[in-house]
Amino acid sequence: MSSESVLGTGSNATERGPRRALGWGFFLSELAVLFRRRRTWAMLAALAAVPILIAVAIRLTDGGDGRGPAFLDRITQNGLFVGLSALAVAIPLFLPLTVGVVAGDSVAGEASTGTLRYLLVSPVGRIRLLIVKFAAAAVFCLAATLTVTVAGILIGLALFPVGPVALISGDTVSVAESLLRSLLIAIYVTLGLLGLAAIGLFISTLTDAPVGAMAATVVVSIVAQVLGQLSQTEWLHPWLFSYYWLDFGDLLRQPIEWSSFGANALLQLAYVAVFGALAYGRFATKDVLS
Amino acid sequence: MTRSWQRWIPAVAVPAVVAVVAVVGGVATTASADLPDKTPQEVLALVGASDVTSFSGTLFQSSDLGLPDLSSISGASGSSGSSGSSSSSDSDAAGTFDATSALELLTGSHTARVYADGTDKLRVQVLDQLAERDVVLNGSELWVYDSSDSSAVHSTLPAPGDAAPGEAASGDVPTTIPTPDELATQFLAAVDPSTDVSLGADTSVAGRSAYDLVLTPRTDATLVGSVSIAVDAETGMPLQVEVFARGDSSPAFEVGFTDLSLDAPSASLFDFTPPAGTDVTEKDLSAEGHDATDAGPGAPASGAADAAEPTVTGEGWDAIVETTISGDLSALTSNPLFAQVATPVAGGSALQTTLVSVLLTDDGRLLAGAVPVSALQAAAAQ
Repeated sequence: MSSESVLGTGSNATERGPRRALGWGFFLSELAVLFRRRRTWAMLAALAAVPILIAVAIRLTDGGDGRGPAFLDRITQNGLFVGLSALAVAIPLFLPLTVGVVAGDSVAGEASTGTLRYLLVSPVGRIRLLIVKFAAAAVFCLAATLTVTVAGILIGLALFPVGPVALISGDTVSVAESLLRSLLIAIYVTLGLLGLAAIGLFISTLTDAPVGAMAATVVVSIVAQVLGQLSQTEWLHPWLFSYYWLDFGDLLRQPIEWSSFGANALLQLAYVAVFGALAYGRFATKDVLS
Repeated sequence: MTRSWQRWIPAVAVPAVVAVVAVVGGVATTASADLPDKTPQEVLALVGASDVTSFSGTLFQSSDLGLPDLSSISGASGSSGSSGSSSSSDSDAAGTFDATSALELLTGSHTARVYADGTDKLRVQVLDQLAERDVVLNGSELWVYDSSDSSAVHSTLPAPGDAAPGEAASGDVPTTIPTPDELATQFLAAVDPSTDVSLGADTSVAGRSAYDLVLTPRTDATLVGSVSIAVDAETGMPLQVEVFARGDSSPAFEVGFTDLSLDAPSASLFDFTPPAGTDVTEKDLSAEGHDATDAGPGAPASGAADAAEPTVTGEGWDAIVETTISGDLSALTSNPLFAQVATPVAGGSALQTTLVSVLLTDDGRLLAGAVPVSALQAAAAQ
């Protein structure tokens, strides 16, 4: 299917001039390939199911006993908390799982279907290929996070009363501001997943077996979270890419605590730089045989 | 071959650059400033002359007292506390300020945001993951809010002036108000028999240059090695307190600003209305106003049983506080938390931390002090 993209970039290049069009055309065709796949839609549907299941379960059982994920006990009073509760559930496993699939497949998938060499025969440099693959994975991170958030807000609107939102500081903000904060949280979580996407891209350049790369990426995310739980590895915690994942609550304080947003962005930037460079080193020296 | 080698250069260089930036960034925050030389007395006078009452900042507190991490336990009891507070709200320290959360604040590390405007407006936000505990003081209105179980405690303070936060006890106001300089001299004279006051190297806290006031006990009988107080060179405001255990180079307890702004915070921060659906408890502070005065190491007992007036033996750093618990001891000792932190010793149970020891004797006496457990046992035997 990526052979289509080769053709696509070729036709774009003749229209708009060689260099710029190549980058954007290739990126857009890569996105088209990604979001035309049934697997991508299946993963987004599974992510959308998380808030729907939570909301329906709460609706049927009429609240809970105060246990369970964050914000669960507030859903019956305000449906806007469904999306936040679903994010807290999806962040440790479901989101890394889907990101691992997309990022792990990025290069190894092309290699296994034999389309990688066609991509490289066409005037697509290896650096550009890596950048476009990473950018597509980043767009998927945003799409996945927004899916959970938007599905949560919609099902919350449908099943529960909606009103001004009580922040965790105890202050109350309007519905409009809470939607804005939900969008900010989606961006925050997306940023947090970029480091994992870069790791997945690097692993994907190591192998021709996409399933292996996907599994390895997911395992890395689980190992990072286990290390983050152990008090014996406390010195390591701030360096783990999963360190700030559940700190999205800082955007629900009054006033907003921006420090974790900046620290998260910086940490993920470091991961992207390191694993992007490693991926380049591996991919640029790799003999592409398939 | 050489080209292949060259292509790995970024793969080596970028991690190296990231590592260097990370290390340099860490060093830059601890870089010391070069301030004009002062004597300890001058720095103390600077503290006394400090008139900062409006600020907003982020406090970081961390304890390494050798206690097990209790955050998981207290989290469990915190959620069950909402059901318990409705039944036993008569005399217990209500809701968020029970002994468990006091202990929890002494273990692990916490980040809190502090907003103050004048002496009668204060808001402290203890930032937990996906939750927050708030204390809001606005004039005589006091709110304590816990988002994890959506509970709030509301109190009205007896007189607005009495509860000035962070102020030293001003019980005996002298007829002539001493200058900060005289106060510093008096303080130094008072602590001199027990404590050596000196100045360490200039430091930097929350991006501000600070003097480092070091209090070192003159006795060897205490567990405390030294206390280090960073004093803002510009305003005289204490920025950081570190307590070192004897023979330890990293602080056993530290609290300090990581971020500080001297601008007055937004007034809307102090207007607190609990959100709809909050479990609000009204608490009358006028009857038991002295309840929270002794929230030191003896705090575990104050929640479970009423404590008699304490007696202090010795003075200075190796003083021992002794009190008798008149309530039911089994209620305390059967607490799973108690088994977690206390170890049985000859004559009772002891809680040993790197800074403070607490001994609960079998006959219901509670001894505490910044001394080894053996010193408490010796005092209990007298």
